Amino acid sequence: MLQQLYFAIEVSLNGLMTGVLYSLVALGFVLIFKASGVFNYAQGVMALFAALTLVGLQTGQVPFAHLINSVLGTNIHHFGWHLPAVLAIVLTVAVMIVLAVIVEKLVLKHLINQEPIILFMATIGLAYFLEGFGDLMWGSEIKRLEIGLPVGLSETIEGFTYDQLGYGLFIDRLDIVAACIAAILVIALTVFSQYSRIGRALRAVADDHQAALSVGISLRFIWVVVWSIAGMVALVAGIMWGAKSGIQFSLSLIALKALPVLILGGFTSIPGAIVGGLIIGVGEKLFDFLVGPVIGGATENWFAYALALVFLVFRPQGLFGEKIIERV
Amino acid sequence: MSEAALKSDPAMPADRSIGAVLLDIRSITLRFGGVTALNDVSFDIYKGEIRAIIGPNGAGKSSMLNVISGFYQPQEGTITFEGQMRGSVKPYQVAHQGIARTFQNIALFKGMSTLDNIMTGRITHIRSGFLAQAVWWGRAEREESEHRERVERIIDFLEIQQIRNTAVGRLPYGLQKRVELGRALAAEPKLLLLDEPMAGMNVEEKEDMSRFILDVNDEFGMTVALIEHDMGVVMDLSDRVVVMDYGKVIGDGTPDDVKANPRVREAYLGVASEH
Repeated sequence: MLQQLYFAIEVSLNGLMTGVLYSLVALGFVLIFKASGVFNYAQGVMALFAALTLVGLQTGQVPFAHLINSVLGTNIHHFGWHLPAVLAIVLTVAVMIVLAVIVEKLVLKHLINQEPIILFMATIGLAYFLEGFGDLMWGSEIKRLEIGLPVGLSETIEGFTYDQLGYGLFIDRLDIVAACIAAILVIALTVFSQYSRIGRALRAVADDHQAALSVGISLRFIWVVVWSIAGMVALVAGIMWGAKSGIQFSLSLIALKALPVLILGGFTSIPGAIVGGLIIGVGEKLFDFLVGPVIGGATENWFAYALALVFLVFRPQGLFGEKIIERV
Repeated sequence: MSEAALKSDPAMPADRSIGAVLLDIRSITLRFGGVTALNDVSFDIYKGEIRAIIGPNGAGKSSMLNVISGFYQPQEGTITFEGQMRGSVKPYQVAHQGIARTFQNIALFKGMSTLDNIMTGRITHIRSGFLAQAVWWGRAEREESEHRERVERIIDFLEIQQIRNTAVGRLPYGLQKRVELGRALAAEPKLLLLDEPMAGMNVEEKEDMSRFILDVNDEFGMTVALIEHDMGVVMDLSDRVVVMDYGKVIGDGTPDDVKANPRVREAYLGVASEH
C-alpha cells in the first residue's frame, strides 16, 4: 500500500516536470496574446525552429544544404566546426530576434487594426511556413540535442529517498534542470513586466493600442520586443523538449497541449500559464495512473482537453484570467 | 511678450499672454473614400493660448484633432509645428515632438493603476535607452524616481491622491477623464489637445475640469487646444475660437467675434441668414 503511495508520488513529480514544459510553451502564447491580442498559433513551431537552429549552428550544419547541393550540384553538408553550447545559444537568440523583426515587417505591420481572427489566420500561415522553412534550412531528420544538460536518473535523490523511505524515487535530472530554468524565466519575466519601463509599455500596449500610441509608444517596436521574447521562450522550450525526446516535428505539436493549459490558466496571466501547465502535467499523469487501468489506459491523450472543456463550461476566464465585464 | 516672461511670471493671468504661432494648419483636406471629412481647413494656434474648436456634430472637429496628433494622414495641406513643416508622421512620433492628447471616449490603460497610467505619460521623456535600463539599473532607477516625483506633483495638482493605486477601469467616468488629463500633462507637452474634456460630466465635474484647464494654461503657460460642446464653457475658457461645419472653417476669432458671426449662428441655430 505504502509502495503504491510512493509510486503515486513519483508519478506526480514526473507529471510536474512535464507540466513545466507545458508551462513554458503556454508562456510564449500568453506573452504575445497579452501584448497584441494575437493567439500565436506558430508558437510551437517557433520552439521547433529554435531548437533546429540551435543544433544546426552548434554542429556546423550548412543551412539550405539540400537546396544548394541540388541547384549547384555540390556536395556540402558541414562547415566542419563544432560551436560551444553557449555561443550556439547566443547565436540562436539572435536568429529568433531577426525572425521577430521579419515577422513584424512582413506580416504584423500590414495587419494593424485588423480583427484578431485575421491575425490568428496569419499566424497559422506563419506556422506552416516556418515548419517548411525549418525543414528546408536544416533538413527533416530527427536530431539529437547535446548541449551538456544533465540527463538520466538522479542517483542522489534515488539514494536519499531509498535510505529514508525504502523506496527510491526515479527522477530525471533533466526535469530538475528544466524546472529550475522555468522558474528563473518566470521570475525574470514577471520582474521585467511589472517593474521595468519597457514592461510598463508592454502592458500599456496590451491594454489599449490607441492610448499607447498617443503617449509615444511605437507599437511596431513593442511587437518586435514581444516576438523576440516569445522567440527566446520558444528556444528554452525547444531545448528542454529536444533534450528529452530529440528534435523532431512532433515538437511543434506540443503547442496543442498548451491550449488546455491556457484555458485553465487564463490567456492573459503569466502565473496562470505556469500553474495551468503544472496542473495539466500532474493531472494527466495521476489520472492515467489512478483511473487509466480501470478504463483501459491511454487517458493522457485526452485528459487535458476534457479538463479544459470542464473549465470552459464553469469558469471560461480560467483560474487567473481577467473576468470580462461589459459595461452596458 | 517674450517666452521667458511668460514662463516666469504666473502672476499675469489677466492677458494669458499670447506668443508666436506654435502650430500652423494650412489647407488641410482629409478624405475617407468619397467622404470629405476636412475641406481646405486653415487656422493657427498661438503659443500660450487656449484655442477652442467648436461646431455641430460631424463638423470634422475630432478629425482635425486626429490629423494634428498623427492618427489620420491628410491628403492635402501642411502642418507646421514650431516653425518646422511636418511630413508624414506616426502618432507616437507626434507624441515625441511634444503634442499630447486625450480622447473623446477615454483611452486609458484600464488594467493599470492611476499612478502607472500617468507614468506612461513620461515615456517621451525617458533618456536612458531600453537596453541601458536592462543592464544599468542604477542610473535608470534614479531617472525613474525623478519621473515619479513629477507624476506625484500632477496627482496632487489634479487632486486624485486617494485613487492613485486604484485600477482605472473601476473609476467613475469623471475621474477617468481626470486621469487621462493627468497622463497627457505628464508628458509636459508643448501643445495639449483635449477632445471633449467635459463630455458626459455633471456641472460640478465640469467646473473642476475647467479650473484644471485654466490652471494648466495660467501656471505652466501650456498651450491648449480643445474641442467642446458646452458653449458656456467654451466662451469662458478660450482666447480664440475656430468654428467648423461640414468639414470647413466657418468662423475664427475671439469668443465675442464668433458669437456675432452670422454664419456661425446659422450653423448652430439653423437661422436663415440674409444671403
